Amino acid sequence: MTEQIAIHTEGLTKHYGNFPALVDLNLAVQVGEIFGFLGPNGAGKTTMIRTILDEIRPTSGRASILGMDTHSQSVEIRDHIGYVPGDLAMYPNLTGKDTLTYFANLRGGVDWDFVGSLAERLDADLTKKVGDLSSGNRQKVGLIQAFMNKPDVLIMDEPSSGLDPLVQREFQTMMREVASDGRTVFLSSHTLSEVQRVADRVGVIRHGQLIAVEGVADLRSKAIRTVNLFFDETVDGAALENLPGVREVKVDNHHVTLSFDGQMETLLKVVTQRYSLLDITTHEANLEEIFLTYYEDAGA
Amino acid sequence: MLATVVTKTFLDRWKGVAIGTVALALVFFLGMAVYRDIDLAVYTDLPEALRALINIPADADVGALAYGAIYSSYGALTLASLALSMGSASIAGEERKGTMGLLLGNPKSRTHILASKAVNIVLLSALGAVILWFAGIVVPDILNVDVTGIEVGALVFHMFVVAVFYGFLAMAIGAWTGKTSLASGATVGVMVISFFAVGLLPLVDSLKSGVKAFPWYYYSGSDPHLNGFDWGHLSVLIVGIGLLAAAAVVGVNRRDLRGQTTRVSLVDRLRGYPMTERIVDRLAGSTRVSRVWVKTASENQGILIVVAYVMFLMMGLLIGPMYTFIDETLVKLTDSFPEELLAMFGGGDMSTPEGFYQIETFGLMVPIAFMVVTVTIGARALAGEEANRTMGLLLANPIKRSTVVLQKTLAMIIQAAIVAVALFAGVVGGSMLGRLGMNPLNIAAATLLGTLIGLVFGALALALSAATGRTRVAIYGAVGAALGLYVANGFLPFSEGLDGLAKLSPFHYYLSSDPLLNGMNWGHGAVLLGLFIGLVVAAVMLFDRRDLRQTG
Repeated sequence: MTEQIAIHTEGLTKHYGNFPALVDLNLAVQVGEIFGFLGPNGAGKTTMIRTILDEIRPTSGRASILGMDTHSQSVEIRDHIGYVPGDLAMYPNLTGKDTLTYFANLRGGVDWDFVGSLAERLDADLTKKVGDLSSGNRQKVGLIQAFMNKPDVLIMDEPSSGLDPLVQREFQTMMREVASDGRTVFLSSHTLSEVQRVADRVGVIRHGQLIAVEGVADLRSKAIRTVNLFFDETVDGAALENLPGVREVKVDNHHVTLSFDGQMETLLKVVTQRYSLLDITTHEANLEEIFLTYYEDAGA
Repeated sequence: MLATVVTKTFLDRWKGVAIGTVALALVFFLGMAVYRDIDLAVYTDLPEALRALINIPADADVGALAYGAIYSSYGALTLASLALSMGSASIAGEERKGTMGLLLGNPKSRTHILASKAVNIVLLSALGAVILWFAGIVVPDILNVDVTGIEVGALVFHMFVVAVFYGFLAMAIGAWTGKTSLASGATVGVMVISFFAVGLLPLVDSLKSGVKAFPWYYYSGSDPHLNGFDWGHLSVLIVGIGLLAAAAVVGVNRRDLRGQTTRVSLVDRLRGYPMTERIVDRLAGSTRVSRVWVKTASENQGILIVVAYVMFLMMGLLIGPMYTFIDETLVKLTDSFPEELLAMFGGGDMSTPEGFYQIETFGLMVPIAFMVVTVTIGARALAGEEANRTMGLLLANPIKRSTVVLQKTLAMIIQAAIVAVALFAGVVGGSMLGRLGMNPLNIAAATLLGTLIGLVFGALALALSAATGRTRVAIYGAVGAALGLYVANGFLPFSEGLDGLAKLSPFHYYLSSDPLLNGMNWGHGAVLLGLFIGLVVAAVMLFDRRDLRQTG
């Protein structure tokens, strides 16, 4: 059973002094999935990653990667992982090639043809010194070093920061290839659109607490819709807020936007009784909106 | 208008200044306490030439000794070092950090920024000077020492002016080049060379007047602690400060600001040429990154090269011929030298080449040289990678934390060995040039003990770095401990009852056996080696058990 779990945490807790950065985190990431770890800045994403990498030690609880304890077997674990830290920094005086060689040597070698293909796909320049690269180009070197040893578990903290849209797309393809290879991707992010595109499941963390873990497909099937209503007069939003299934009402003069997961008939009845409805558009909410809804609910 | 930049820089820096000067005040306290308790006849009976060398007047009393031999030299060196580190960081430092562009994004001219940095150098040097002045007044009072006739105010003011001078020199070089390391390196070079020139040149009759070419002369040449303000000398420094300020303004306005870029070294250029590409690529590229220890040993090359060069040429090769030039009278005075006094300078008999080398090179400069290299690497090895946020990436690879510590230690040993080889070659060469006939085996022994004392404090820095992850704690801690233990080893033997305590200082195991004359003392070597190993083991254990710091 444990072989099927890539990352497992049990009651993982980390306090910095009195500040609880991570509270009783229970999480199981399956082998072969892309797991999106979502949360706003300072939610505890990086603390969680640094804890399972044994950079810092939990105040209580434990974690394992591929069935190995993250503290006592940390060196063995690192044979199986690739890591992109958040706010990536590398050795400014080394070229990209030198940097990759350094880490390859620490791992006992790497397939350079594969490195070459990764560099080509990401359009990375490995001949320049890392310190002379723009942050996006530096990020590419960081991504290559994480992918190059074909790790069983890829752990990445905000990995697409600084990448242009074309490279981001290639990077997403690379993540999907890893997953279809039966390997695992753990992707922390605060941009939902990215996670929406690649992840199988998402975990949402806030104030150090895991609020929810759901499949991306399940989240979508929650059938939250965004409804835009246009009227010929100014509308009182408060009247709409109390209707069943209505959330997040925004009124802008004649225009009302709301999230809705109730019965459309009820909504239309109420609206048309009171006002003269000119137009209505509706579309499936993206994760961003669902996510915001979660936050409203789990609000601090 | 400038207040914001001034305030920020002041708040960033004042702690360093306070720690440095308060530490110095403590050394002063300790020194004066010891002077108070010993028979000063050992000093007053000294021959004039020697007294001049170590800055002791003929009618020396406790006050003159403490201010002349401790406060004026170490105090000025400390204050000037603090000022020049501020100077080199002022413009070039902001460029290196990539914050200069951000700063200039505000409606302030480059000259404004420069001016605010300059104000800071003056303000913080003044803060340091006030602390030193306060200590200079209060310490003798606490110790009940009569210091009538000592011009503390004048001495400290001279210190302040010379510190600002070196601070502005570093600032001007940084403003012209945008290179922090060049600014601090060149300024330290000028400072150290002029410090030694002012100490040594007067010993050689024909070179006596040459001292006027060195800025340090206008600080200490007039003995301000005895003779008060010398406005002639001070005005030379003040005019120099003005010229440097003007040069800095011109320099910072005329050139392109540097982005947050890396240096292009000679090696990088060679790597670009087709002829040299392959071999250099192998050395600077694949070899350098083959192992953690190789990569670490290849870092801080600038410091290593300067230290090895200084130890080889100036402290090694040149001391030999210099010995033969030195005033005959000095050499003839062997018998009148009290042993206790010379022990303070690492011991040594001025009439023999070994003794001369011991006083000039091995007593103070050798430990400093080794420690510059070992403490730098020890402090940066772990805490530096944490501060640069690369430690997490490094430890994501399948290597143990203990392996990282041990490989960094190996790099430290390699760099110390390079300095040792340069020093050994320099002293052997100096002995040959001056036909002094010193025993190479004994030189090797002294060099080995010097290497070990350097490694002990390097390992202390490593252990502090492992325990805290803070480079500053590691550097200040190791240097502070070294300073205290060095002074303790120099002074405690004078004090009856406390003389046994000197054995607790690692420096006791460095020169007390006179290795240049007697060869290797394996027992002493073993003590130092044991200390080194113990500290490295502590570093391994401390690093293994703590959370990595997340900075940035």
